[in-house]
Amino acid sequence: MKAMVQVVLCRCCIEVSKLLDMERLQKVASESNNVVSTVAVDAVCDGRNLAPVMAEAKLKEVDRAVVLACHKKDISPAVVKAYRRAGVNEYLVEFVNIREEVVLPHMGDHESAQKKAETKLRAAISRAVLLSPLEKLTEQMATRNVVIIGAGVAGQAAASEAARTGAHTILLEKTGRSLKAPGVILPHSQVVGAKGYGGNFTLRIRAGEKSEDLGAAAVVVATGGGWTSLRGPLAKAVKDAMPLYRFYEVLLSGSPPNGPVVIVDTPDPVGKTVRVQDYAWDETLETVIELKKKHPDTLVTVVFQEMRAFGLSELAYKEAADIGVRFVRYDRNGSPKVDPKQPNTLTVKDLSLGEVLSIRFGTLVFASIPPNEDNKLLADALRISMTADGGTRRGSIQRWPVTTPKPGVFVCGSALFPKSKAEAKVEGQAAGAMAGAFVMRGVVEYGGVVAEVTQDKCSACLTCVRTCPYEAPFIGTASKAEIRIQACQGCGMCVGICPSKAIELRNYTDEQIMTETRTLLGGDF
Amino acid sequence: MTDRRPKIVGFCCEKHGADAAVLAARSGKHIDASVRLVQVPCTGRIDGIHLLSALEEGADAVFVLGCLEKNCYYDTGSIEGRKRVGYVKQVLAEAGIEKERVEMFNAASTNAWAFPEAAAKMVEVAKRLGPIGGGEK
Repeated sequence: MKAMVQVVLCRCCIEVSKLLDMERLQKVASESNNVVSTVAVDAVCDGRNLAPVMAEAKLKEVDRAVVLACHKKDISPAVVKAYRRAGVNEYLVEFVNIREEVVLPHMGDHESAQKKAETKLRAAISRAVLLSPLEKLTEQMATRNVVIIGAGVAGQAAASEAARTGAHTILLEKTGRSLKAPGVILPHSQVVGAKGYGGNFTLRIRAGEKSEDLGAAAVVVATGGGWTSLRGPLAKAVKDAMPLYRFYEVLLSGSPPNGPVVIVDTPDPVGKTVRVQDYAWDETLETVIELKKKHPDTLVTVVFQEMRAFGLSELAYKEAADIGVRFVRYDRNGSPKVDPKQPNTLTVKDLSLGEVLSIRFGTLVFASIPPNEDNKLLADALRISMTADGGTRRGSIQRWPVTTPKPGVFVCGSALFPKSKAEAKVEGQAAGAMAGAFVMRGVVEYGGVVAEVTQDKCSACLTCVRTCPYEAPFIGTASKAEIRIQACQGCGMCVGICPSKAIELRNYTDEQIMTETRTLLGGDF
Repeated sequence: MTDRRPKIVGFCCEKHGADAAVLAARSGKHIDASVRLVQVPCTGRIDGIHLLSALEEGADAVFVLGCLEKNCYYDTGSIEGRKRVGYVKQVLAEAGIEKERVEMFNAASTNAWAFPEAAAKMVEVAKRLGPIGGGEK
């Protein structure tokens, strides 16, 4: 059947028609014998302008469209929706970003821009003709469970926020400590394995002695920070060092600190195992001010490598310095050491003085905590990736700060990297709300642009199985690769890597990409 | 030969690469008109044959613009893309064609400079090397 293409030219708030000759573009469009209708509109992003276009589309019975306008992400939802109502499949609407790819970067060059726009139009028509209609499918989620791994500050915040959306929350806590959070709390439990995709996970849980399977629609990783004792040479010399949060609890209980207090930034300042990423500055400053106010005679020294007092913390830093807290900055070459023969003296080279200082202390406190060592196990179980520092990796720092690249898996708190309690709580709330909203949709949407295996060509080499970050390909019963389309995100990595060319990505086939390239190279500009 | 304009093909991913190109245009950067952009969902979708056939069809240089490797939308996509580009470079070297004609770049969607820089670099390469095979075409 012959493809019936409608070409929509957007004047894009006059910018496009100022530089380009719209009539010549329309003529180029009508040269192709697949194009049955060409319309020029003032601004395709204005819904009112779409009505006549859709009326024309219905009249001419078009089945696919090429829209020359601006950025696809900005206009596609409205345009696609309108076309769906006019009976055109949403995957058959091809967008050409004429404004940002041609008009704006080539403002002074009328002739080249015109030729480039014409060539881009021809390429888009050639691609549109090759597209095939696709459908999105849905699947019911088996459960409404949000499984939160770790019931610390972030985990509890996530639980209360997820419970508010109506999801069932299940908290897995590694220790047996009692806590209050909405939902089911499983003490002494850990995730050891996982199967499935966002919406329908099956987690393998080890709770105490037993192992069992748990269905989950979404997973929130809130494993928090790691070591709660010193590491490296310091651990050999100092026996009773404590983490900052415990010191703060002692302080609140009212008992005076044991002698002068030294706060170091990391539990292993000498070793190279931990990069000091984020000193828990807010907490440290809050604690030292509290300490100085309650016990003004105590000598307090803060030993740190990097200063990160953000925003209003700067005021707290000034206040702490004013009331007599000593701040000592060091670097790798002069990191703090304690001689085991003199377990109460810390020697450190002050970076600003250039001298080696000996600081006597009664209590040693460490502030920042490294990422949890369980992150590695969890990353293997859930197949999510990690950062170089041993934290869990998030999707994108700008767009998805509390999601992992894997749909349905969220991450918050110190599982990413060490951070303050307040920040961990906010992140926990965000991750909990997102997980709750994800679960309460109740259905998994899948399909559309996904990979597809031609099983005759498959030699079951497992390359796709190893490459996919989402565990979509698997070797099925016929000993050939199959794609679990619920898990497929449509990136096409398996398609590019398949040595037998047995996999194709719908609407991004080799033929479609190469035809577009060829047509683009045909024009001379 | 000197007034012949080079032809550059850029494959960019729909996530960060295309956004970087759009941001470059919106922040008023000008690029050489000879750059032709082809969008793919992810640079991991790129196959050696796409790059090679682009060179065969008359492109003087081809580049691939993907996400930053540690911030890729599809987790490992741009790392895969870089591997494919490396493979094509090897093939070109065996065929006696300058391997600088194919290059991989990474950009975050907020890096307005990345796309114009990549385009300018490839235009420079294409102008320096001239057409493939010394311009008998």
